[in-house]
Amino acid sequence: MLANYLIGLREGLEATLVVVILVAYLVKSDRRELLPRVWGGVALAVAVSLAFGALLTFGPRGLSFEAQETIGGVLSIVAVGFVTWMVMWMARSARSLSGDLKGRVDVAAAAGGASLVLVAMLAVGREGLETALFLWAATQAAAGTGGSTAGPLLGAALGLGTAVLLGYLFYRGAVKINLAKFFTWTGAILILVAAGVLGYGLHDLQEARVLPGLDSLAFDVSNVIAPGSWIGTILKGTLNFSPATTWLQAVAWVLYVGVTMTLFFRQIRRNNRPSTAPTAPARTPAGSPS
Amino acid sequence: MKNRRLAAALVAGVSLPALAACTDNSSSSSDATDGRTIAVTSSSDACDLSSDTAPSGRLVFTIKNTGQEVTEFYLYAADGKRIVAEVENIGPGLSRTLVVNADAATYVPACKPGMKGTGIRSELTVTESGGSGKASAAVQEQVDQANAAYREYVEDESGQLLAGTRRFVAAYTSGDDARARTLYPTVRVHWERIEPVAESFGDLDPKMDAREADLEAGQKWTGWHRIEKDLWPPSDQPYTALTKAERATYADQLLADTETLHGRIGKLTFTVDQIGNGAKSLLDEVATGKVTGEEEIWSHTDLYDFQANIDGARVAFEGLRPVLKQKDPALESEIADRFTALESMLAQYRVGADGFVSYEKLDTTQVKQLSDAVNALSEPLSKLTAAVTL
Repeated sequence: MLANYLIGLREGLEATLVVVILVAYLVKSDRRELLPRVWGGVALAVAVSLAFGALLTFGPRGLSFEAQETIGGVLSIVAVGFVTWMVMWMARSARSLSGDLKGRVDVAAAAGGASLVLVAMLAVGREGLETALFLWAATQAAAGTGGSTAGPLLGAALGLGTAVLLGYLFYRGAVKINLAKFFTWTGAILILVAAGVLGYGLHDLQEARVLPGLDSLAFDVSNVIAPGSWIGTILKGTLNFSPATTWLQAVAWVLYVGVTMTLFFRQIRRNNRPSTAPTAPARTPAGSPS
Repeated sequence: MKNRRLAAALVAGVSLPALAACTDNSSSSSDATDGRTIAVTSSSDACDLSSDTAPSGRLVFTIKNTGQEVTEFYLYAADGKRIVAEVENIGPGLSRTLVVNADAATYVPACKPGMKGTGIRSELTVTESGGSGKASAAVQEQVDQANAAYREYVEDESGQLLAGTRRFVAAYTSGDDARARTLYPTVRVHWERIEPVAESFGDLDPKMDAREADLEAGQKWTGWHRIEKDLWPPSDQPYTALTKAERATYADQLLADTETLHGRIGKLTFTVDQIGNGAKSLLDEVATGKVTGEEEIWSHTDLYDFQANIDGARVAFEGLRPVLKQKDPALESEIADRFTALESMLAQYRVGADGFVSYEKLDTTQVKQLSDAVNALSEPLSKLTAAVTL
């Protein structure tokens, strides 16, 4: 029961954190009209994952291991790209928000609207298939195929429910803090989350042997932070921290955090500087790979 | 409009390659037919595989977590490092399946309860089964038919065994020894026809069919042969007849075990290799027990059992015959001829419609003849499984 609960919690947190920040951002920046797009993306990802998972579980054909890992891995890395874009977009529009360029915001939002759907979809969908397969397995157990216990399904459902609840609480907390702090903190959190997702995606690809180096571990703290424990679950669910991390994961994480954080805080500093110049020059550094 | 197109493109982008990488699910009939499904039980301190060998091609692992922690199942290459396939998030009480296209090689399966460490490892040998190991549609249909027909046969025999045992037990407990002695060999025929299936239940077979000579230290002797001795008490050694209460005890137990057996058999399904190996092991039963007269040492009704074992093997063979005819016609006609030879030799000893002479009536030359005929059949029959599963 507890173990299944923790799986549900972990998978749930992985999906909710990005979505919650996105929702909080839209609410704070007073663009509630874009919320349906986010929820649409979430709903689509949930529906596709559940349908695809059911098809693979109950249908005539299953999915090969390499294919499943590659889906998870590629989607994760694509998700990183979109979350990174989102962080920078938020940072830039924070500047516009603090100024009086409302018109420009709407232009950015129009371009970003389509992407919002994708961010929400990817955040939920990248691990959606694995979660769906897990949930259907629990459903099978509850339905009595080879088992007949509702315990695992109940546990998984409670875990997912807890993740949603935690997400809601995080949202309530996030919308209360002031705008400048909000952008700085959520941006930094998102970068850490995205770095974890990047590492996770790379690990999936290593497992599928698309990338090498699965056995070259940078560190293994599984004995201190057990993957099945509460702390392991929370760390994995939020930051995608893996107790046994390969060198490729570790190096990618450090590089990503190093580069993205630098760019992000440079943008934030720029935002906080009293703005006399028009927005155009301020945008260039964020976009260029400096 | 734009975001809908994007979303649709993403859905397609994810699902199309995924569908292209699909593999058949465990529910498809072909898995059950050729030993390609391996049940894995992952507990907190063990990782049991239902088989440590498998044919190359598509394999389906069904991993059940019976422990308290979340577990994972990995199939590593022989080096124990390269992951061939894995499945994660197997919560307690859950079963997940893993489909693998495995080449002939040695693999290292591992369960990781608690999701850490190198896992509880063992070894899995995948043997060459000829290409992908997938049967053509026509052959597959024959295989399915063979499996279904054999299942029906086993269930029917088991049902007759149960009905017969009821009659036998009733006669025996009521003291009608003459009737019990008549029923004994004819009811046991149903047991002997499906003996390998019954023996596959390791807990029932020793309770139901143990011979006195084979008892292990401390094992209580019960079942058919215990009652046999009581019905045909030995004249050359002191024997105390069972009391009425003792008779009832043994009889009730035999009936209860037969009921359990019948219940379990109802849930069985069979695969081609089980049927083929079953035929072979029936022949082995004949060679080691019946031809030597050791099986029915008190009643000497060995020839009934002999015939019944041959019947069971023949049914198994006939079921697989259409498949074998396509794959190895020479072997098919050889086995058929040897069956006929053995059956006609055995027919010399028939008495009445379905009876046989006492084993004691056979002289050593006749026993030798029978034994040779059994071996002559046993040899090509041992190639049956390999021939039909290739």
